[in-house]
Amino acid sequence: MITGKCWVASDYVMAYDIIIQQFWTSPIDKEENSKWVMAGVDESFNKENGFKDNGYTFIVAAHNFAGGGKSIEHVIAGLMGAGIQAVFADSFARLQFRNAINYGLPFVTSKDIAKGCETGDELQYDPSTGTIKNLTKGTEFQSLPAAPFIAEVAEAGGLMNFVRNKIAAGEPIG
Amino acid sequence: MGMTITEKIMANNSGREKVVPGELVWVDVHTVMTMDYLGKQCFNKFRSLGKTEVFDKDRVICVSDHLVPPPNQKFATMLNEWRAVVREHDITHFYDLGRQGIAHQIMVEQGHVLPGKISIGTDSHANTYGAVGAVGNAVGVTDAAVAMATGKAWFRVPEAVKFHITGEWQPWVMAKDLSLHIMGMMHWNGHLIYKTLEYCGPAIEALDMAGRMTLCNMTVDLGAKNGIVAPDKVTAAYLKPVAKGDWEPLQSDPDANYEAVYEVDVSKVVPTIAKPHKLDDTVPVAEIEGTPFNKAFVGTCTNGRIEDLAIMAKILEGKRIHRDVNMIVVPASQDVYLQAIKKGYLTTLIEAGAAIDTPSCAACAGIHTGVAGDGDIVLSAGNRNMRGRMGSKEAEIYLTSPAVVAASVLTGKITDPRNL
Repeated sequence: MITGKCWVASDYVMAYDIIIQQFWTSPIDKEENSKWVMAGVDESFNKENGFKDNGYTFIVAAHNFAGGGKSIEHVIAGLMGAGIQAVFADSFARLQFRNAINYGLPFVTSKDIAKGCETGDELQYDPSTGTIKNLTKGTEFQSLPAAPFIAEVAEAGGLMNFVRNKIAAGEPIG
Repeated sequence: MGMTITEKIMANNSGREKVVPGELVWVDVHTVMTMDYLGKQCFNKFRSLGKTEVFDKDRVICVSDHLVPPPNQKFATMLNEWRAVVREHDITHFYDLGRQGIAHQIMVEQGHVLPGKISIGTDSHANTYGAVGAVGNAVGVTDAAVAMATGKAWFRVPEAVKFHITGEWQPWVMAKDLSLHIMGMMHWNGHLIYKTLEYCGPAIEALDMAGRMTLCNMTVDLGAKNGIVAPDKVTAAYLKPVAKGDWEPLQSDPDANYEAVYEVDVSKVVPTIAKPHKLDDTVPVAEIEGTPFNKAFVGTCTNGRIEDLAIMAKILEGKRIHRDVNMIVVPASQDVYLQAIKKGYLTTLIEAGAAIDTPSCAACAGIHTGVAGDGDIVLSAGNRNMRGRMGSKEAEIYLTSPAVVAASVLTGKITDPRNL
């Protein structure tokens, strides 16, 4: 069970704006990438730790979160470094959805959740049932449960660990 | 129920008889591409898996394209570190400065992607590989590192959407126009997220490999997982001198399942343009003819091929680019560059007043040469036009075909090539 504050995004928050151009060539590093994460999304986030200092645990978004076609993992590393433990949205852009799975950050599909939350609301997410409670408003949303493989990767702490464990144990990965 | 070509490729490369959309499978990867600005991190991650040798030195393809030649010390140092790590792993195919090109162009023109096989790359436009009937997919460095170690990647089998394209291609209408037309039709609103897009029909069979690459390239910008054209005579002729490996033709079954089928009559498609900041804000060029601009850019993995340079040379032959327009042309690879020199296209373009830049991603991603500054209005044959994509957030980018760019640089205003 994870509990914390949420930030509500609009449609089409692009990967481009989550990590802006000047940081694409930086090393992928949760702590480093988190300092300027979301810099292009909102002017108030465009300063060092501008997003991170708000202490959000969740992001609630609408359509096509993290789209625009960027495959860089800085996006996911930055969000995790900033303390984000799950993102709920109507839909996610493919490239970052994949990266999120590989990093063990739940990108959770939940229809219409964006309409039922405001920035600052206290949410509670139960990964085992997929239930998301808005404690501030007393409402509840159901999300699609993750596929077993995705849960297994998250359990291992990401794809790197998952594969590393398999290689070390001499097991086939798939 | 039959299978689509993408389902067949995923089944064949995961040792299964059949796969269905939604299923998660580990597949054998034919080639893994990584490039200069992410490659070192890729190799570092690969080593952290406890491996020192890649799964196949001939099938990990390394390309320098985003940072070459280095415009500053930071990039020069990154390139040196990248070269060291590639050499350390004794990679057979390293396309470094002097032999370089945009990674996706290299992967196709050098025969590293083959029909019926799966190739991945650490850059979003890896979808381009679908042009030869491969599953081409963009991944992060984690997936690439895993594939470098194991030769495998995980995939969710995608639902399929078919674009059946009929009719005759009209003069000066290019694959880019069809791509932008479909972008306008489908929007960026998520209809095609995670889907495999299959392009087929008489107008696709009539399309050369360059056009197929443009179409498949931009499927990532439609939100799709991959775009694919089944291999045919055009594919076989293209691959014959370059293919690195054997391949077998593969096609979708007649009773394969599609979530949606769209019919497009290409004879109705006209020169098309996306207006600043949104890829799906497309209109026929005729609607905004006369709009002034000051910079022109043709290159990229979308439209930097010999066929693109040829159509521009045809339009600009014996003419002069408008005095208020700066035009940069970037061949997609050294091979394309050399062919364009031999065919005289570059002479024509230079005589017209265009600047030719070394093959690279150049200004497309806004981190290399020729970037846009405040107030620039750029007419580009690239693939993305969101605010800030080519540099300044105070610049505007119109996206269109090389033919429209060539026609427009003569007048300094957006011009429909059919009116020349």
